[in-house]
Formats: sequence, structure tokens, C-alpha cells
Amino acid sequence: MAKKGSDTIIERFRSVIENPQGYAKSLHEQGKLVAGYMCTHVPEEILYAAGIVPVRILSPHVSQAMTRSYIHETYCSFSHDCAYQGLSHNYDFLDLITTSSSCIHMGEAFNVWVRFAGFAGKSYLIPYPHIIETKPAASFMKESYGEFKKFLEGFVKKPITDEEIEKAIKVYNHTRRLLKRLWELLRRENPPITGPDVATATLASQFMDKLEFNKLLEKFLKGLEAAPGKGKPGVRLMVSGGACDDIEILDLLEHLDYAVNLIFIDSCTATRYFWFEIPEGRADKLTAIAEGYISRIPCPSKDNVPGTGEKKRLRYVQQFIEEFKPEGIVFLYQRFCSPQPHDIVALRPILDKLGVPSIDLELDSTVPVTQFRTQLEAFLEILKPVVPLE
Amino acid sequence: MAYAVKAWNDFKNYQTGCYRDYLYATEGLRVMGSTWSVLAPLKGLGDDIHLIGGEPHAASTAGTLPDESRENIIAAESAGLGFHSCSYLKLFTGEVIRDKIGITDGTIKEGYPKPDLIWTTHLCNQHSKWYQEVSRRLGGIPMFAVDMIGGGNAEKDSKIVNYVSNQIELGIDWLQRVTGREYSDELFAKAVRNEIKVLVLWGNICALNRHAPAPLDERRLIALFPPAVVDRTTDESVRLYETLFEEVKQMVATGQSVAPDQRFRIVYFGIAHTYGHPEMARILRDVGAEIVASVYTFGTCGNFKGIVNGKWSWDPIDPKWVDELDLSTRRKAIEELAKIVLGWPTWQGVRSYWALESMAQAMIDEYHADGLLLAPSRSCETDFRNGYVGLQRIFKSKIPTIEYDTDQVDVRQMDLPGAQRKTELFVHLMEARKRRSA
Repeated sequence: MAKKGSDTIIERFRSVIENPQGYAKSLHEQGKLVAGYMCTHVPEEILYAAGIVPVRILSPHVSQAMTRSYIHETYCSFSHDCAYQGLSHNYDFLDLITTSSSCIHMGEAFNVWVRFAGFAGKSYLIPYPHIIETKPAASFMKESYGEFKKFLEGFVKKPITDEEIEKAIKVYNHTRRLLKRLWELLRRENPPITGPDVATATLASQFMDKLEFNKLLEKFLKGLEAAPGKGKPGVRLMVSGGACDDIEILDLLEHLDYAVNLIFIDSCTATRYFWFEIPEGRADKLTAIAEGYISRIPCPSKDNVPGTGEKKRLRYVQQFIEEFKPEGIVFLYQRFCSPQPHDIVALRPILDKLGVPSIDLELDSTVPVTQFRTQLEAFLEILKPVVPLE
Repeated sequence: MAYAVKAWNDFKNYQTGCYRDYLYATEGLRVMGSTWSVLAPLKGLGDDIHLIGGEPHAASTAGTLPDESRENIIAAESAGLGFHSCSYLKLFTGEVIRDKIGITDGTIKEGYPKPDLIWTTHLCNQHSKWYQEVSRRLGGIPMFAVDMIGGGNAEKDSKIVNYVSNQIELGIDWLQRVTGREYSDELFAKAVRNEIKVLVLWGNICALNRHAPAPLDERRLIALFPPAVVDRTTDESVRLYETLFEEVKQMVATGQSVAPDQRFRIVYFGIAHTYGHPEMARILRDVGAEIVASVYTFGTCGNFKGIVNGKWSWDPIDPKWVDELDLSTRRKAIEELAKIVLGWPTWQGVRSYWALESMAQAMIDEYHADGLLLAPSRSCETDFRNGYVGLQRIFKSKIPTIEYDTDQVDVRQMDLPGAQRKTELFVHLMEARKRRSA
């Protein structure tokens, strides 16, 4: 039987996230400049304006011990896995590796690439605020982006014009709008697409050339928006936490003994990656980019409103709960990531008020599928009377 | 014969006095926050500011009240704050959760004294997070965290100095708003000069350990830097460090030391852990091996020349330089304060592996080290625990080097027999190297 167009597209996205270095290498072989980036605070638009395709470095999901002699064991497995990508020379072909000064764990993964994986001569660290809500953050970011732009101009040996930056902003905003439309489909009572497939497309967007990705996603959406629900509606679960690029765990959520719809993922590998826009048409492009990135759903490690100490992210989580109407929250975060459990402790009273129960699952190098399955099924049984799938 | 530091009791009394003021003050403002922050801005509000700082308070509580400390840590873990989170954080927040507080004179007070405001800093992923949690638990204490973005040679980067200064300036406006008090720029400038003076004096005192024998050992260094951390803005704190500087200079002039048997000189990178495990220090002491320099005791609240011509220097800064600083406007005072605090070695290494390597190499060279002891703290992200792993790879072929895990105030997290065995091997390595070069 011939496959539907949407099936072919999701398979394409899946093939990209299963072998991102293969995809990145193919870009390199086409003669494109390719830069790896390690944190979503990197302003990809500036790279793109310079004619460089940004490709996010994520976990290879292999069981490995190599990084233990480079990074302390109490750093999260995600940072270990990203460091492994450098040490195992999976990305030697990259023209550049870059990150912004983000969390210490990922900063050290970057350092491993620079110190021990041969990237000393082709790396750039973008100084970036550790609290994004301070008033002086935007001007600091603008200056920092200016230095980055200058570095890239030297790297590509040509000036980066405002027109090129504006064009990149528009391409990236288009990606964000398309992804938002895709995620909005999960608000339906009976979504026409599964949560793991939406997550797959979102992950693919972090590896792919945005022009290519946008074309595919536009086509994908055309077929989906008028499509009926994919199956029997199940218990609506939302995931909230840190970086999780492991589709296996998201697939598990929708393949329990009870029907489940994964309807939202609040993480930097999912909605936090794109749930914002850069203002278009501004005269000062770098300030526009800074303002856009400040308006993101904050990473827990950078979230602290001066004067009150409030965590702005909690407001977003509350908003998503109200809009997407999950019946339960799965807190899914990397072991050894401290800001996440701190946020969860502060979120619990809010969830109690909203009447939404939650469960915590800590991620490590491998996913303990059996234990997670038991915990999740027990959670579902607590949530509401559920009928096992036939 | 081992020398006994005369200023010892004054230092202990100063620290305890600050904590007692926080506990029992009936007037003035109670302020909580990392004392790894710029403190002088608080003093523009008046002379009646009583500080309690997370790190020094947690460290001294661990030393004074180990059983209470353990309960505090467990309380924080039970509240869901992450068993792998910073153990200073857990101990400090645990006190708030248990609603009781212990201080250096052994007092345990039921009922945690609620702060009027929180003034703190943010650098690693966790730093301001614990105060957010404390603020929330205590009903929403007003809180201002300054993002001390750093790394490498931050104090020489005008972009970073401006960013930090702009935040401090806004912070001062906030302090006025939230307290409703008039702000005195005169008091502020005075506190800035004191703060910088103490940091520079401590750097000078540490630098005297280049001499052989080194006048101070790690145990004394750990005990003598807390006043600089607890509250370094007062005239009294300046007087303490001026007195100590003169005393240690005299020790050097007369060849005296608190630990005169120094066959091996060790450079140490790690948060102080020996107060929790005196048996570790004893292994070294028994063979005449002393930690003569450490980035934590030197660089947490001490300043040095830092990066000069691309290389780190542990040369001290002339204290007279502080007297000549132009602090005539609020902005000038803020910028000088931002630069000195951004220049702390511990911060330079957190975000910059090259600065960390450069400062390790310089410390080994300048302090004529026989060995490098690396003891990353399992729960501390700013303790360069990853950087240390890298350092071991870099330095092991140059100088006897060992690494074992600690966890500052959480004694449960240490593999004591393993660390002891490694330390014994470390001593053998230093011995063998000495024989080879003899």
C-alpha cells in the first residue's frame, strides 16, 4: 500500500533524528558550512544569516563510559552524551562548534569538545546572561551578539548584512509559527497526530536546514489540519522538565496498557525551543534578536525575576495547563539537574490548586523502561478510572 | 614549635557576633543571601544591616553542629530539593524547613528569624535557586539576585563590568524602594572601600605562603577567611585583616609557621572538606605534607593580579591601591566593586577552563608545589568539578596529582577509605619524585 504523504514526511523527520550527524554530514558534502550548537540560547539566526547551517548537538543514546574520565559523574547524562559526540569524533566534519554560556553542565560538555576533541581552533562561546529577566540583559546580549557576528564575519570572510539577518529572522519565525500550529493540534480532544510524532518533528527542526524543514512541515500540516482524530482519546498527559531528546520515553507514554495522549512537552528540546518569536522589521536587528530570546519560556537555570525572585516559567506552565488541559503532569528531567527539582517543588502548590496530579521521572543515560512503565501505569490508575486497552 | 595565631579569637568572635546579630537583632534589617555577592550596596541603607550568608553559615554550622547539619540536609532532601543539589544549599534551606537555626557559638534557636529581604547573586545553575525557595517558603521575601556573569578575565571585559554594574545600580534603587529608607552614598562608598580592602588584604596574607615554611596551613586558612565572607564591609573587618597581615609578615620574618614540618608543599583545588574529615588532614600532617595554597581559601574572597599578559598571576595587589581608588560617585564605586568581585579566582575558573588551567599552573609554580591535590565536591557545580577532571589529565605527567570526591558539608557523600588510600599513594608519589630529583 502506498504511504500517505504525511507518513513519508514523518518518516523523513524520524530518519533525521535517528542519524543527525548523517544529515549534517550530507549538508557538509553539499558544500554548506555547518555549525554545531549546544544550547537553545544560541542565536541561530546570526549563524544562518552568515550562510552557516546550525545543527543542534544532542544525545547519541548509546551506552558509553568514555566521558567519565572527562566530565564528573555528577554532571547530567545529557551533558555526558553531548560531550561524547565530540570525543567519539562523530562530528569532526563540523566547521564550527558554538554555545552560549548556559548551564554549567552543558558548558562543560562544550569545554570537552574544545579541550579534548580537537575543536580548540574552531569554537566560539557566546557570553549570555544567567538571569534573563534583568533589565540590563538585553543590552549585554546585543553587545555579545555583536562580537559573535564580528567573529562570524571573519570566519566566512564577508560582512553579514542587516538584510541577511532579517531574512534569517523571518525563516526562523516561520519555523516557529509552523511548529506552534503543529502543537496546537494536540489541544484537540482527539488529536490527528500523536505527541511523539509532534516531538519528532520538533527535534528534526533543531537539526535541519530551516528552509528544507519549513517546506516539509508546511506540507505535513496541510494534510493534518483537516484530518480526523488518530484514535480513541486517552488520558491527557503533559510532560514538563529538562532536555529530553529520547523519543523512546515519549513513545512509552503512548504505549502503556492504558490509552494516553501526550499533549504537551515543556522542555528545551520541545516547546521551549520555539515558543517565541523575534520581532521583525526592526532597525536594530541584534536588539530584536535579544528581545526575542528574552521573551522565551525561561530555562529553570536562568529564571529569577529581580525584586521578587519569581520564576516566570511557572506562569507559562500554568498557562499551558489551562490551554491544553492535561489530566496529569509527568515531570521528566535529567538526574543531577538541580534547577528542575527546585521548580517542581515550587510548582506543586500551583498544580494542587489546579487539581492536576503529577509524577516525577528522573532520566539517566538509559531509560529504565520497565520501571517507568509500572510507575506511569500506577499514576494513570490514580488519575482516573481507566480501562485497560484490549 | 608550631606558632599560635594571636588574632585567632578576634576572628572567631567577629564571625559569631555577626550571626548573633542576625538571630537576636531587635532593630535594623535582617538580610539573607549569598555572601559571595557584592555586600557594600546593602550598607548604604545604614549601619544596622545584619547579614546571614548561605555558604559561610552552612560551612560553620557543619563544623560546629554536625548532627543538626545532617538533619538539615535530610530535611531539604525530603522536601524534594534534590539529593544531588549543593550541600550548602541543603543545609541552609533545611534550617528554614525545620524552622530552627544553629550558629558558631553552639546556640540553636527555635524559630527561624525571617529576613526582611534577600540580596544575592547568581552564577551557577543553583546559586540563586535556593534563595528563591527560601523566599517562597517564608511567604515571598523580596529578593534581588545579581547575575555575576564571569569567567576568564571578566573584570577586564568592559561589557561584563557594565552589565554587572548596571544591575547593581538597579539593585540599589530596589533596595531603597523595598525598604523605604534613604540611601547614603557616603556609607556606600565607605563600605565599598572596606570591602575591597579586605579582599586585597586577604590576597596579601595568602601570598605570604609562598615562603618556606609557609606561615599558614589549610586549616588556619579555612578558619581565617570567614570574616571576609561573612561581612567584609565593616571597619572592624578591615582592622582584623590589617592586624593579621602584620602578624603573618612577622611570622615570615622570623621563619615561623603554624605547621613548621613541611617536607611537601601541596596545592589544593577543592572546597574545604577537611573540617568534616580531620583524618584526611592527619594523613598529610603525619608525613609533613601541608596544603600551602588552595584556590578556595585564596580565591573565594581574595583578590590577586589575575590574568596579566595572557597568564594568571597570584601576585597580590598593593593595599595602598585601595586607598587611592576614586569612589567619588555612586557609579564609580559600583564599577570598582564589580571589577574586584568579578576578579575572584573562584569565579574566573567556573566558566573558563583556560583560566582554571592557567591559575593551577601558576599556583604550582609560584608556591613551589610538590603535589597537586584535586578534591571536587560532588554537589558543587562551581567547584570546577569537571575542570578538575580535566586538570588531572593535564597535570598528572608534570607533578604528582590525585583526585578524590568530597561533598563540602555533607560527610555522607565521601568515600573515606578510598580517599585515604589515594592520599597515602599521593604521599608516596611525592616522596618518589623528591628522591628522583635529589
